[in-house]
Amino acid sequence: MGDNNVNLPPGFRFYPTDEELVVHFLHRKAALLPCHPDVIPDLDLYPYDPWELDGKALGEGNQWYYYSRRTQNRATGNGYWHPIGMEEPVVTSSSNKRVGMKKFYVFHVGEAPGGSKTNWIMQEYRLSDSASSSRSSRRKAPPKTDHSKWVICRVYENDDNDDDGNGGIELSCLDEVFLSLDDLDEISLPN
Amino acid sequence: MSISVNGQSQVPPGFRFHPTEEELLQYYLRKKVSYEKIDLDVIRDVDLNKLEPWDIQEKCKIGTTPQNDWYFFSHKDKKYPTGTRTNRATAAGFWKATGRDKVIYSNGKRIGMRKTLVFYKGRAPHGQKSDWIMHEYRLDDNNTNDTTIVSNVMGDGGQEEGWVVCRIFKKKNHLKTLDSPLASSISGEGRRSHLFDSCDEGALEQILQQMGRGGGCKEENYEANNYNFGRYASRPFDTGIINNNNGNYRDNRFMKLPSLESPKSTSMESHQNNTNDNDNNTTITNNGYHPIIPIDMVTENEGSFTNNMVHHHHHHHNPMEASSSSSSMMVGSGGLTNWAALDRLVASQLNGPSMGFCTSDHDLQFPTLRSSSSSASTHTRAAASASVAAFISPNQDYTSEIDLWNFARSTSSLLSSSSSEPLCHVSNTSA
Repeated sequence: MGDNNVNLPPGFRFYPTDEELVVHFLHRKAALLPCHPDVIPDLDLYPYDPWELDGKALGEGNQWYYYSRRTQNRATGNGYWHPIGMEEPVVTSSSNKRVGMKKFYVFHVGEAPGGSKTNWIMQEYRLSDSASSSRSSRRKAPPKTDHSKWVICRVYENDDNDDDGNGGIELSCLDEVFLSLDDLDEISLPN
Repeated sequence: MSISVNGQSQVPPGFRFHPTEEELLQYYLRKKVSYEKIDLDVIRDVDLNKLEPWDIQEKCKIGTTPQNDWYFFSHKDKKYPTGTRTNRATAAGFWKATGRDKVIYSNGKRIGMRKTLVFYKGRAPHGQKSDWIMHEYRLDDNNTNDTTIVSNVMGDGGQEEGWVVCRIFKKKNHLKTLDSPLASSISGEGRRSHLFDSCDEGALEQILQQMGRGGGCKEENYEANNYNFGRYASRPFDTGIINNNNGNYRDNRFMKLPSLESPKSTSMESHQNNTNDNDNNTTITNNGYHPIIPIDMVTENEGSFTNNMVHHHHHHHNPMEASSSSSSMMVGSGGLTNWAALDRLVASQLNGPSMGFCTSDHDLQFPTLRSSSSSASTHTRAAASASVAAFISPNQDYTSEIDLWNFARSTSSLLSSSSSEPLCHVSNTSA
């Protein structure tokens, strides 16, 4: 977080919504508009292994953010990103309009296709085609460049033991049990 | 880049106020209590008695970005001039503490405590539980000794007046969905094990402790044929009290706790009868009391209790004797007091050994675990679940309990897959 050029009081963190990633960071990047704050670095297509991202990508908690490009080759030094599942649309909260797509990858160590799966997950955000084309047609400029091929990658390790990784923001399973036990309290009160 | 909060708020896109518990305590609350200036008015003061949770949500907005949680300072006042309880009632409801306070550490050093509260709509004791949860953080400066923690277990006692910093949020479902179904399909296993990993031994003990506090709802011979799970469950897993609101059993609330491995209540009765040569057995059974304390208590984990338990077992088999001995465990509402004692005892176990409880609370009886785990046959299980079914009052709402059993089942299946079956069986029956 030291690489943020944002001077915020303690407790503020980069926790963007999908919509913010697409609408603010990706759109502006693709439209060659300045991003404020310009916190997400551009790692281009450099094939970093996920554990190499620390210090290069924007790290927040156990997540790392960086710009990359759309590509078919997602091999890295020691493995490759393997796509899983289908794409998900990213929609605006206000108008439910589709602005981008989100695709999931899981990192495998070794040579494709025989690598072994890891806990590293990547979510790749890209502008949906309609969004980028409507923008370029509306604004006339910039002409179609490969800037529309920008993506934002969010990489994280699926940690089984991040007990308080959410800062206690959700209830633990123990709290849930306590909660349900409170019902027993009510029941057992003698009237 | 500068921002102003609560004025014309401009938090840069993508940024959220997600303070760690340490930041809340060490930075914000510490500055608050020492009247230091806080750079930005991020956390506002809220009079908890004047604002409903949904109003707080409005008042404590930071910027215009969507929020899942809201932060504020609150000044705790005593409910009554002479008491120590905090008044947390609002116009529409009240905040009620749940569970056990959690110690907050910073670099291995204890800095404060977190209390969890739930908002109930309406008035106690008939409030309706909502999804609004509050975490109330207080600094640790004044209460650092363990006795305070023990008293906190009992409720609001032992806490000072003063500033606290709070976070409220709306509870999500137990197994929350991740960002996407795809993500959950990836990480399903991980999430699951993570969920129950956090329920370590200490956590389970807390659960058991809490269950003791909850008073009883049903009679059940709970068994664990698996040693691992049984070890955890060697505290009272069910209170073993029949709380039938129609009153058949309530006046005979013997605070007997279920044995973990009582093969069958009837056989255990006869077993006790033989071993004890107890001529009160008939009387007790007629009172609806289910004698299920094993006499041959072989325990590894609670050996220190064994002698007392065996000794007092005889003592309390006679209801007359027990009620005359001013022990609070026996009859009617007095039973709750006894559970409080049990609470303290378990809490003392959690917070380090304090042998005083073992000797002073002579009226406590504990179920113990026989380490020579009897192989629970299908027959036994059927008997146990039959007794569950027999004692459930159909008029009561057991929804939450079923949740609990599902939880217990899942937990046990984590601990050992072999123990899940009997629990599953029991919970199905009670459902």
